[in-house]
Amino acid sequence: MKKLKVTTGILAIVFIVLSVTSCKDNKKEHNNKDGHHTEMKSDDHSKMDHDNSDGHHDNQSSKKESRTIEGNVQKNAATSPIIDAYIQIKNGLVADSKEITAKGGMVLLVAFSKFDMTALKGDTHKEYMEILESAKEQAEHVVKSPIDHQREHFETLSTDVNDLIALLGTEKTLYQDFCPMANNNKGAYWLSEVKEIKNPYFGAKMMKCGSVKKQIN
Amino acid sequence: MKIVKIIALALLIAFVGIQFIPTTRNQSDVVLKTDFMLVNDVPESIHKKLQVSCYDCHSNNTAYPWYNKVQPIAWFLEDHIKEGKSELNFSEWDNYSNRRKKSKLKSIISQIKDEEMPLSSYTLIHGNAKLSESEKELIIKWIDNLRDSL
Repeated sequence: MKKLKVTTGILAIVFIVLSVTSCKDNKKEHNNKDGHHTEMKSDDHSKMDHDNSDGHHDNQSSKKESRTIEGNVQKNAATSPIIDAYIQIKNGLVADSKEITAKGGMVLLVAFSKFDMTALKGDTHKEYMEILESAKEQAEHVVKSPIDHQREHFETLSTDVNDLIALLGTEKTLYQDFCPMANNNKGAYWLSEVKEIKNPYFGAKMMKCGSVKKQIN
Repeated sequence: MKIVKIIALALLIAFVGIQFIPTTRNQSDVVLKTDFMLVNDVPESIHKKLQVSCYDCHSNNTAYPWYNKVQPIAWFLEDHIKEGKSELNFSEWDNYSNRRKKSKLKSIISQIKDEEMPLSSYTLIHGNAKLSESEKELIIKWIDNLRDSL
């Protein structure tokens, strides 16, 4: 009999606790719903405003195609540590090694953190910051992801490093390679320090896939 | 037998006890004008699906059905929301540079394709967040178009 009492008591407590929490929450949900309605209305306005706002124009202006590197770019030694780290990642993927690739990602993060951007002004600075932000994010994923994902992030990283070189230059001799099968057959570029094709998107599976599109320096 | 009962009782008390520990709710009264849905022209079907399947962890506003408020589910969710938002926050979509938008869209596609998102641990308790094959295809195609248009 005593046991029964204890059990009922506990059950009662559980029930009360659960109903108290859910009651409170119901109220909250309700409020939120109301809030949501008004939000949507005000957002219609803000959407219209938004179309005319400066922010939108800014976006339009940054809506350029990715940069193309001219054959002879500005000679700049400052970008070398970044490019070296990128090449390390590339070679890790060519070797199908998650570990080497991940290490390259770390080196790249360090290279970016050491890069002196005080000389960059105005638009150049702005674009550098955008590249930096994206490249860092890719590098972080390269450090912690399985190799399939490393390759995906390498693809975006290649665009970032490509644009960095177009923006700031390099003193290195590099080859811009293209693999038509990467990126779900949409094709993707990468940069290499050697002329011979060694495909980082497929590694040993398709080592020779791709062609040199451009030589830099 | 007695031990089993004591353990069961202890667990029960612990379960009740943790319900009192407060968690931070990921809720906001405003939809920012940087929100993905406001910046892009999102078709109704995709709008709904993204809202249900993604927005809980990838926006400033989580839907909280009762089971999301019960501990330890609420903790589990809180963690994922924090991480999810740091990777991708649809509420602040327009704050991303064009470059990042593209890379986010690319990642969205590959995450859905590889069935890594929505998290299986999440769809387990939140069945309607699951994406069917046709829904996946639809979303991927639309996101892919959006990516090309940027």
